[in-house]
This record gives sequence, C-alpha cells and structure tokens, in this order.
Amino acid sequence: MKQLLDSDLELVVESDFIYMPLLFDPEIERETQRLEPGKPFKNPVKYKQKSVIKLEDKHFVKALNIHSFIDNYEAIDAYSYQRMRNECLRRYQLVRGIDEQFLDETLRTILFRIMPYFIRKNKEFSRKKVSDAEILDLVGEKINIPAKYYEEAKTFQDLEPLKEILKDLEHQNSIFKLPENGLYSARKLRNWFHKAINAKVLASEHHRIARSLQIREQFRQAKPAHIAVLLYIADRGAMEIDGFGFTMNNAYKGDYIVYKRTGDYVLKDYYARSYLFPDCRVAISTYSPYRPFVIEKYKHPFLMGHKTGQEICMKDFVPPNELTAESVIRTLEEGLTAMRYGYNGRKRNGYHSLDKTWVHIPTIDFEDYRI
Amino acid sequence: MDLLKDIKHKRAKQRQKKPIKRDAFNQISGLVRQCGLEKSFLDALDKVGDYLATKNLKFARIRLKVPVESPLFSLVTKEEYFLTMSIIKKVDCPYLRFAHSPEEVLLCKPLYRLNPSLAPERLMRYHFETLLLHERTKIKNNE
Repeated sequence: MKQLLDSDLELVVESDFIYMPLLFDPEIERETQRLEPGKPFKNPVKYKQKSVIKLEDKHFVKALNIHSFIDNYEAIDAYSYQRMRNECLRRYQLVRGIDEQFLDETLRTILFRIMPYFIRKNKEFSRKKVSDAEILDLVGEKINIPAKYYEEAKTFQDLEPLKEILKDLEHQNSIFKLPENGLYSARKLRNWFHKAINAKVLASEHHRIARSLQIREQFRQAKPAHIAVLLYIADRGAMEIDGFGFTMNNAYKGDYIVYKRTGDYVLKDYYARSYLFPDCRVAISTYSPYRPFVIEKYKHPFLMGHKTGQEICMKDFVPPNELTAESVIRTLEEGLTAMRYGYNGRKRNGYHSLDKTWVHIPTIDFEDYRI
Repeated sequence: MDLLKDIKHKRAKQRQKKPIKRDAFNQISGLVRQCGLEKSFLDALDKVGDYLATKNLKFARIRLKVPVESPLFSLVTKEEYFLTMSIIKKVDCPYLRFAHSPEEVLLCKPLYRLNPSLAPERLMRYHFETLLLHERTKIKNNE
C-alpha cells in the first residue's frame, strides 16, 4: 500500500473505499465491456456495490476500505506507523516523556540543590542563596544550548494546539474527515492519509495530552530560555559545569549518576616521593547503594584494581539510607577527600602502597605516576 | 464401454493435471513491461522487410535464446494492454509465444513464412535469427 501511495498513480475514493487502477488481461477486458456504459460517475447509490467503476475513460477496481486501513495500519506496517507516531508526538513535544522529566524530583534535586553547592565558589554565587531561575540562567550561559531547543521551547509553551485537540477529543468529534468522492493523485491521498494517522495517534494519546497540558500550564510563566535549558537537559540526560555533572543511569530508568571531578592531585609515599594522579570523576548513583565510586578506569591505593566503576575504600564511612541533597553532597565530599587526602604514606593505608614493599602484593604499580 | 465406465473415464480425464501453456498475451505483455516497448514498436513491425535488409545477417554462430522470465498470468495497465493486443494482432503468428525479445517479435512473421511447421522445442531453444538463417540456407541449397 505504501508503494501505491508513493507512486504517481491516480486513485479513486468512492463510498469509503479506495479504488485502484484496473489491470488488464483479455478476460478482464471482456468483463469490463459488459459493464454498463455511459452512466455518470457521480451517482454513489447506483455504483455503491460495484467492484469496478469507470471514470474519465479509465477503469478502477475496489480495493481498500479507508476506515479499515486506518484502523489496522499499526498491524499492517508497524515500522511505518511507529515512525509516523513519533513524528506526530514530536511535533507537540509529547515524545521522550519530557513532561514527566520536568517534574522529576531526582532531577530537580540534582539541578537546584546539589549543583549550587559544587559551583557556588564561583564569583556570582558567593554571597547569597541562588534561586532556581538563576541556576537555569547560569546553565544557559555555561552551556551552548542548540537553537532547536529554543524553537522547541516556543512549541512547548504554546498550549493552544493541545487545548484544541483535547477539546475535540472530549467532544468526541470525528478524528478525521474522509476525503470526498472523486479522483485523487496518490500523493494527495498520501497527505490525507498522514493527517488521518496523526489524528488517530492523538486520539490514542488522550490521557497523555491531558497530563502534558496540566504540566505545561505550570511552566507557562517561565522564560523560554529556561524551558530551552530544561528541554536540553531532559533530552540529553547529562550535563557538566565546572567539574560537576550528572548523567542518566542507563541501567536504571529515571536514575542518575552524579559526579564531581577531582582534578589532578599529588600523593606522597613513605619516602615523601610525589606521585601525580590524573583527573577522575568521583560519583554516586541515585539508585542505592549510595557509595562513592570512580567512573573511569583508574588506579589508586583506595581502589581494589585498575578498572572502571570501582567503589572507593573508606573505613569509617556509613552510606546514607535515603537519597537527599545533603547526603549526596556529603558522600561526594567524602569520596573526593578520600581520593585526594586520604592516603597516608607513613601508614601505607588502603589496598595498595605507593612505594613497593614486601608486605603488599604488588598487583598495582604506581611508578608511572611518580614525579 | 458402458455408460458408467464412460463417465468415470471422462471424469478421470478432467481431473488430470494439465500443464499451463504460455500464451502469446502473457509472453508479449511481459516483453512490453520488461523492455518498456512503446507505440513506435508497431511502426517497426510494419517495416520488418527494411529491418531485415539493413541488418547484416551472417551465419557466424548459433544464437541461443536469452532467458526471459515472463509471468504465468500477466496483468498490465490499460496502455500496455492495448499495445500488447496491437502487437499480437499485427504479427498474428503462432511463433509469437516463443519470442524472448523484441527482436524475435520482429523476426516472427518472416520465419513463419519460410517454415510454418517448426517444432516447439527448436523455437524454444534457438534464437529466431539463427532459425531464419537456417531456413534461408535450406531453401538456397534446394534451389
């Protein structure tokens, strides 16, 4: 069917049916000659039951019921239907669950309560407690937000199209108008068909539209630039400013990994020789256990091996029972402190010693970090 | 043979599988579609004599047919249908259903004129040009 709609054929719509151009062989030609000649086409009652009709000296054969085709299109061509559905939802910013992310408490905690702590040492945050709007302004300044998010922000704040759709759905108006009887080019019919599928998709998303509308009402007064920042974050699921950042946890939907970079730092061994450690990200997952770990492949006296995602060894650390902004800040701070200042060269604490000894099994070597 | 046996015999005969024979319509409509033949081909059919005169036919080697997959039951658009029927009407020759290319459609009539009783196996295997040259050579030798 898709091939037919993409072709340059002429199709006929008559009494809710699509008629295709009739193909011929000698027997079919004989049959068409037996059809009633000379009857005007615009007489739907007369031609209602006909399987072959003649229009402008061309024969057309009854092929598809339009209602049936629209209703079953999801089963007929699942891939194409999904593509059209996504396109339709994207047009109204209903895709990717953006509205839900706007109200996601975890994301709001990270963005408005944890992030200011780690970037407050900047000049503009030194004196007073920052508001949510100021934080969004700062993010907008620090991150180059692509122009498309500003465009999407305008669509997001324009509630009229969604209101109209909802009104139609609630008044149970017909979701699409059938094309009038007559001859159509396949392209024209395809455009109509796309509109009908869009209308069907929107009807099936009735509840989502209502919920989105409710959420968007709350953000109606917000600056478009702030909406653009939130859309960018919701879309990317990750952000980093001044060494502090977060990224969506791929393993657990709706959870994030919050991290802070250590920067380069120096540790000293038993003989006071210096070792320069490269930058790494100390992180905590919003999905328990709330223990600090290093995201990168890394080696350190407090890490068991030389691989990614290792928990930091901290003797007296008790992980928090629940996730709050304060607990995340404390855990990250403790992880960073342990990495940067926790190692005592005289005590050689941790899994490994920086200098080679007979006591420690020499699994991890730090000679390459020595300066 | 009594009536009962006669009826049984007739019914058994009816039930027998009959191989589908390709007819001229399926063959030619397949060619019209595959080779994109147009109405100008009908003019070419009128000038077969000129075509044979201009074409340098030499019995250098035996030409075999180009394999063509034509549909068993062909359905074509109205324009293609009328072109196919015009070709069939114009050529009007039993060899037409063995033609595998437009060139063979052109040679159908001259070949039939030279020898109207060629075996289907030969028509299916050899290009009409080869058969035409063969028939011409035969006639020359007889003279």
